[in-house]
Amino acid sequence: MSEERWSEEFRLLRAEVASLIKTIPGAVSTVALRVGDRAVEISWAPHGTAATAPRVEPELPQESPAAPADVTDPSIRSVVAPLVGTFYVAPEPGADPFAPPGTRVEPGQTVGIVEAMKLMNQVPSEWPGEVVEVLVTDGQPVEYGQELVRVRVDGP
Amino acid sequence: MTAPPFRKVLIANRGEIALRIARTCREMGIATVAVYSTADRDAAFVAFADEAVHIGPAAPRRSYLSMPGPIEAALRCGADAVHPGYGFLSEDPDFAVVCAGNGLTFIGPRPEVMASVGDKAKVRELMRDAGLPVLPGSDGAVPTAADAERLAAEIGYPVVVKAAAGGGGRGIGVARSAKDLPRVYRETVALARSVFGNGEVYLERYLERARHVEVQVLGDEAGNVVHLGERDCSLQRRNQKLVEEAPSPGLSDRIRAELGMYAVAGAKAVGYTGAGTMEFLVDDRGRVTFMELNARIQVEHPVTEALTGIDLIREQIRIAAGLPLAVKQEDVRLTGAAIECRVNAEDPDRGFLPTPGRLDVFNVPGGPWTRVDSGFAPGDTVPPYYDSLLAKLIVWAPTRAEAIARAERALGEFTVSGPGVATTIPLLRRLVTHPVFAAGEHTTRFVEELLDGRS
Repeated sequence: MSEERWSEEFRLLRAEVASLIKTIPGAVSTVALRVGDRAVEISWAPHGTAATAPRVEPELPQESPAAPADVTDPSIRSVVAPLVGTFYVAPEPGADPFAPPGTRVEPGQTVGIVEAMKLMNQVPSEWPGEVVEVLVTDGQPVEYGQELVRVRVDGP
Repeated sequence: MTAPPFRKVLIANRGEIALRIARTCREMGIATVAVYSTADRDAAFVAFADEAVHIGPAAPRRSYLSMPGPIEAALRCGADAVHPGYGFLSEDPDFAVVCAGNGLTFIGPRPEVMASVGDKAKVRELMRDAGLPVLPGSDGAVPTAADAERLAAEIGYPVVVKAAAGGGGRGIGVARSAKDLPRVYRETVALARSVFGNGEVYLERYLERARHVEVQVLGDEAGNVVHLGERDCSLQRRNQKLVEEAPSPGLSDRIRAELGMYAVAGAKAVGYTGAGTMEFLVDDRGRVTFMELNARIQVEHPVTEALTGIDLIREQIRIAAGLPLAVKQEDVRLTGAAIECRVNAEDPDRGFLPTPGRLDVFNVPGGPWTRVDSGFAPGDTVPPYYDSLLAKLIVWAPTRAEAIARAERALGEFTVSGPGVATTIPLLRRLVTHPVFAAGEHTTRFVEELLDGRS
């Protein structure tokens, strides 16, 4: 692909993103563009921060059949896969894992990545606490709702 | 026995059609992968498939309408082809492109063909250029209400405003006079924008009393196209089909031949491959006009299967694998009469309100030449997130009168009940036993006239 073609693609992609940002409600936090695979990645601020935040899905992935039955400790919560893909514990091969057992995490802190169709989707913890277990090995396929990481939530 | 055309097919759909596709795959020796949302985890199509992958929550936007789930699932399971069924991603050319980009064969037409026939305004022009009759209307999209008013005055009222990206009977508004038009135009544009993400609309003369007759076509990669006769879908309410049958009652041999010829010519003109449906209107004077080309398997495809003995899903799979058509036009035999009744979880007494709920009783009919395609079993819950189709009842008999008697008998056996659940079964019984239907004199307005107490 020629230089001109690349920049034309980039221009179109940028225009597309600009229109997306205008039409979808909510405050945008980050935008990532990639021209090679024409990827567009847009993240919105966590819901609740914007008056027009997108509707929250009526069901929780935690209710999925993959959720564990053996966890009886109410302080243990599960971070589950937000979509089908490949799970990674670190931002790139050889890098330090995001959150090995023993790591302190805050709400919104990334504990892993699920790659789907060459897009990296960061998976955050919803709670403050300590990572007690990472249940999926690096590079393994995961289903929607599959339990990835267990967090012991800070006591009241 | 020859080797199956694919090793493993991922079915990017749900419900009865996912199960129906998986059944043919099994008969062909092809392994299947189901994908499902949280709401469908206990569904029959999931249990039937050889493998199943949970792809998202109930909301279709994040499960059945989202591309990464089925693609990732297909790659993980080692599928070599994807069948999209109907609805959801089935007519999305981008999905076909993404499948190809991931080394997966999309079981359907080529993406560029899907794109050109998916634009209802554009396909009208393509078909007109190919010599098919079309209703008087706009050339392409109508950008403003003022343009619409000017054009409608030329075309003559009533006119229908249709979403260029529409389908499944949605995105259609009828203006009976110049007074109605600005409102109908505005409403259709707004609906098209919100439902199809594309506010383009076009205009056509509206036929008040016509029959909706569609022709099943199959095309292979070598450019061969055959038609498998017509289906009459005139029993509909608000553009939602309730009963379909073949052959279409009251069609003369001349009109039937004309329909077949137009269907093949139109499909060839766009380089159509796979199974497709050419939709036409036939007015009270027997004049045929092209409406649209649906680039997917249709809900009512079993009607054609009953008359021809041809498994349309099998043909779709074979064509996608590059195999030539198994039949030539002269080999196609249309035998007897078939009727399909769509049993929906809807309450006709409350404006066809969907009635999701638990199916405490779900006794499907059986017996000779009686086929039921359903994604449900007794005890299942009909989820509120998807269409309300509970089952398709298809009957065949040597003559139309016998097929009507068989449909009536089978509907009588069909019992469904559960808390809050109502079905269209009583209405279907009323329709198939109505003298106007028996005489084959009904038009697309019949159901509404009956419900309004005018028939």
